[in-house]
Amino acid sequence: MIHIVTDSTSDITAAEAQTLGITLVPLVVRFGDDQYRDGVDLDADAFYNLLQNNSVHPTTSQPTPEQFVEVYRALLRDPDDAVVSMHISSKLSGTLASAHVAAKEFDSGRIHLVDTETVSAGLMLLVRASLQDVAAGKDAAAVAEMARKRSAKVTILVLLDTLTYLQRGGRIGRAQALVGSLLSVKPMLTMKAGEVAPMARVRNQRQGVDRIIAELKARLPLRGVAIFHARVPELIGELRDRVCATTGDAEVLLGRVGPVVGAYTGPGGIGVASLGVD
Amino acid sequence: MSATKPAPGLSLLREPLREAGGEQMLAGLRTALSWLEANQQEINDLNVFPVPDGDTGSNMFLTLRSAVEEAQHAPTPSSVESVMAAAAHGSLMGARGNSGVILSQILRGFAQGVAGRQRIDAPGIAHALSEASTVAYRAVMKPTEGTILTVAREAARAAVAAVGETEDMRVVLERVVRESHTAVEHTIDQLQVLRDADVVDAGGYGLAVIFEGFSRAVSQADAPGPPPVQPRRAGEPPLRLPFGEGTGRGPAPVRRGAAAVAAREEGWGYCTEFLINGPGLDVDGIRTALAAIGESALVVGDPDLVRVHIHTGDPAALIALASQKGRLTKLKVEDMSAQHHDVLERADEDEARAAAPKELGVVTVASGDGFRDILKSLGADDVVPGGQTMNPSTEDLLNAVRATNAKAVILLPNNANVILTAEQVDQLAGECDVRVVPTRNVPQGVSALLAYDTTAGVDANCERMLSAIAAVRAVEVTRAVRDSTADGHDIKEGDVIAIVDDKITQVGDDYPGVLESVLAAESNAPELVTVYRGDSVTEADANTLVAALRDKHPRIEFEVHEGGQEHYPYVLSLE
Repeated sequence: MIHIVTDSTSDITAAEAQTLGITLVPLVVRFGDDQYRDGVDLDADAFYNLLQNNSVHPTTSQPTPEQFVEVYRALLRDPDDAVVSMHISSKLSGTLASAHVAAKEFDSGRIHLVDTETVSAGLMLLVRASLQDVAAGKDAAAVAEMARKRSAKVTILVLLDTLTYLQRGGRIGRAQALVGSLLSVKPMLTMKAGEVAPMARVRNQRQGVDRIIAELKARLPLRGVAIFHARVPELIGELRDRVCATTGDAEVLLGRVGPVVGAYTGPGGIGVASLGVD
Repeated sequence: MSATKPAPGLSLLREPLREAGGEQMLAGLRTALSWLEANQQEINDLNVFPVPDGDTGSNMFLTLRSAVEEAQHAPTPSSVESVMAAAAHGSLMGARGNSGVILSQILRGFAQGVAGRQRIDAPGIAHALSEASTVAYRAVMKPTEGTILTVAREAARAAVAAVGETEDMRVVLERVVRESHTAVEHTIDQLQVLRDADVVDAGGYGLAVIFEGFSRAVSQADAPGPPPVQPRRAGEPPLRLPFGEGTGRGPAPVRRGAAAVAAREEGWGYCTEFLINGPGLDVDGIRTALAAIGESALVVGDPDLVRVHIHTGDPAALIALASQKGRLTKLKVEDMSAQHHDVLERADEDEARAAAPKELGVVTVASGDGFRDILKSLGADDVVPGGQTMNPSTEDLLNAVRATNAKAVILLPNNANVILTAEQVDQLAGECDVRVVPTRNVPQGVSALLAYDTTAGVDANCERMLSAIAAVRAVEVTRAVRDSTADGHDIKEGDVIAIVDDKITQVGDDYPGVLESVLAAESNAPELVTVYRGDSVTEADANTLVAALRDKHPRIEFEVHEGGQEHYPYVLSLE
């Protein structure tokens, strides 16, 4: 049997993971000395409350190799069990490195690691696509290979309220170019080659949404779209309607940006991930 | 002296002037420059808009000055081709404003028309002027009649007609001058804006003035010309005093009574070097005498040979004084502002060579510290000072483009009168791919920079910037500088006027009222209004004004920033 493993930066909730039949490995988010497992001890609502009422800036850390070893051991009980372990871009987090160390404890060929070069809604879209490959009867190596290929078809468009959190967290990458404007602007980011990259600056959310729609249009046809937000539910309804009107047949999913990713985006962010057709 | 050529002054009848050489071309350009300088302010005053505007006279003067400076260094001074090619290149480097750019194209066309000619005759002049007109028309996307273009064309037509009747260049040039002034008078009938403002076209008038100066110098080939603009080379003939006596020049018969006066060279500053050959020189006495005329005096030597190195605003006087002490050799006079420029350029180039070039840069134009800081904060590599009343030259923009050390540079002119200048930069920038995104005001420049993506290529960025500038409306608010009728409004001096995307849309008594009318007139209410206050507006005043607007328009987001711009107390962008 092929098991899909991912991490909590996919922003797949525990309940969804159970429904999908996948295993989530949580990262850790800390406020000072308080430590929480992403999505296990702390959900999105609780996290944004903490973020708003806490002067300490949260930090995050990757899962330990032991966490992966435990997960893999539990899944690889039978000789025909195999794992496809799909994770956050290795340029944003050491999660994949921990998984790599853990995988050495097992026979080669049983665990297939995938650097998805994306995160959050993008990672979630790839996981769901891989589940369909598994359902279609592909073997683990093929599922992993298809996921790697497909990762090039993922686009993440992020509209943030501020770059402060990304900058403090040290994950700003080339989006540094967007910092320092004397006008009030909302930064738009994307991911290129697994790293955060600047996309644009807009003057307000409406302009940002217009830009997202324009980018989606340029990428049609799409297999799926996921709209994730960090505490701006009021924008989501309208955004979903506009996305649906743009993308036609593509599946459109909604979700929340969870604690670990939220520690970098801050409240007020919107992310739209899209996956092109195979 | 050959027997066929009468000695000067012996013939009472005017001899026909059948041909002229490079020296006469240069003399013509110099005189044209003096003529233009004398009429500069008058041309500036032919402003059709009741707002402070690009100074056509100054722009044309600075453009032509750059042409003359370079023409003086033509490799073959006796060759018409050589002198005019140098003038064309110089004018292109110095081109400022739309009239300056068109003037540079006229000189370029003229230079093309005299290609291969050492000397020029009457048909040659007619041909060159025709080429000048053709090239100038081609340089403008939508040629408009009643402008400098019309004057260039009518001048060419007059020259062509004249050569059918005479071989005398004097006669041909006199016709050119006469017909170009006639064409200038007609511009008022060709353009509504000119009729409204009751003025003739400034650029056209400037060109007629140039023809007049040129014609005079060429026609009086044996009279001393005006002084060199920027003599630099050793061994040049002694400097002539400005407009030496006995040139026989009457008052300039140009419109509005302005007369050419001596070209002033204030503030230019020349680095002057020479040797005084003895014997019997009094080194200390020479030092004291010369130091009175200049600064940084270095006067060293012995009774047989004294070396002099002095910075002075008046090299002619210095040389005249020194030549009384002994024979001068190794004379060298250099314009220090030009030197300074060269040094800066070399430093830039050295630095540029040291670092690996980056893929893409952005150079923009603005006046006002606030605007400059905002544009830089949005990622502009450089903000060239200039804008409404001070248009940067092609060379200013070129230098900024080079300093970016980028393989491709996007130029954002931020002013309608700088766009054409910006479009000249690419052909001068060598390998660098220079693109112009024609922003007409700073709000458009800001929008373009907001769309700038340092990781994308030049094509993608130009496309993004173009669509970004289409999404913003710019409002410029100022007081009318004189009575006029424009865009269907009767405007009195002192009225507050709002210019929305280059058209006067609102006229009123005060800033709050006019801004309120601007917002009320928008068919789609903007979501975001950014207010840039000018250098004459305090922060408190701007905040008071915006607070009132906020009360009336609770759904609009307002932001106030310091633009620091001159002439326009308020500049707004509506998004």
